[in-house]
Amino acid sequence: MLMEVYDCRQKTDLAGATLLWDSGTNQKITSLAGKNVIKGGRASWDFYSQLFGRNSIDNKGMLIRQYIHYDRGMDNAYWDGRRMVYGDGDGTVFTSFTSDIDIIGHELTHGVMENEANLDYENEAGALNESFSDIFGIMIKQKFNNQDVIKSNWLIGERVMIGPKYALRSLKAPGTAYLNHPELGDDPQPPTMDKYQNMPNTPSGDWGGVHINSGIPNFAFYVAAYNMGGYSWEKAGRIWYAVLTDPNLAQNAKFSDVKNLTIMHAEKIFGINSPEVKAVNQGWSEAKV
Amino acid sequence: MKIKLIRTGGFIPVIKAAEIEVSLTDKELDRLLEIIRPDPSAPKIKDGNSYELTVGSNRTPIDLEKVPDEYKTLFSKLKSDLKIIKKS
Repeated sequence: MLMEVYDCRQKTDLAGATLLWDSGTNQKITSLAGKNVIKGGRASWDFYSQLFGRNSIDNKGMLIRQYIHYDRGMDNAYWDGRRMVYGDGDGTVFTSFTSDIDIIGHELTHGVMENEANLDYENEAGALNESFSDIFGIMIKQKFNNQDVIKSNWLIGERVMIGPKYALRSLKAPGTAYLNHPELGDDPQPPTMDKYQNMPNTPSGDWGGVHINSGIPNFAFYVAAYNMGGYSWEKAGRIWYAVLTDPNLAQNAKFSDVKNLTIMHAEKIFGINSPEVKAVNQGWSEAKV
Repeated sequence: MKIKLIRTGGFIPVIKAAEIEVSLTDKELDRLLEIIRPDPSAPKIKDGNSYELTVGSNRTPIDLEKVPDEYKTLFSKLKSDLKIIKKS
């Protein structure tokens, strides 16, 4: 594994960030955020390497660069095309965005996505882009914690969001990760296609609701994985990774395209009349796609 | 005049805003908006935040990294004052 961690010291100048840790020297660090991203980055690298034989983000051994303590009170994490960047949270609604492995796995998967299908970051394709990141993020956390589909609570960012009743997203029940939150209100994610939100393809419209409508393919994955049983990454994960890396996955793919590809890959891996194919069909059917 | 900074996007798409009274002429404001205009060909940052500046009824996308030195304190204050816009 090749990884570097940089400290932005609450500034926004990424070029001026200080190297805090690198996998070559593996020196000890005291920073909690630093320890979090090393743990999460390693878990993500191992997940892709051990299960799929993938050699880092680009499958060519790319160095993973993670930047912590970005900006003052920044309540966000992002992938900028070259690196993962994490804020410390505002301390009121959110704590450090390094607090959950699934967030780190989510951001790293955006990098994997850019090197594979590179789905457009808008409308249905953008929601699929987000969904792949959520799905691989939750699987990375489940594998790290050795949780099967029953033991997992299927929540993303439950530590990042302050308060025991809240998380950023739920794959099991999209739209319920936070309810009646004093600042955020209710989780806006729909679980099913009949509740798809047509939003403007603008920054304030979340590029057509990419973080909103991702609830629909997330729910399809949850149902499929749950019905297969066991560990999500062993069966459902193999199918979704095959789709993520399938050259036939078009950049402007729609939910129905991914549905068809997951069924096709499930048939290829497990057999046409297999329980896994049935579970994938059930997943998309429950999500009304 | 009053200017409002609006932040959108992010891992969960929360909208935040902050407003401040400034003594800028129309010419100074136009020049500032021209300087901090985002590059339209820049690739979208996954889970990234976007910023807009609202003056009256005009809402203009901006790039905070392009803010000139003489306005850095103003925008720093606006950023630190950002509050979540609650949905009604």
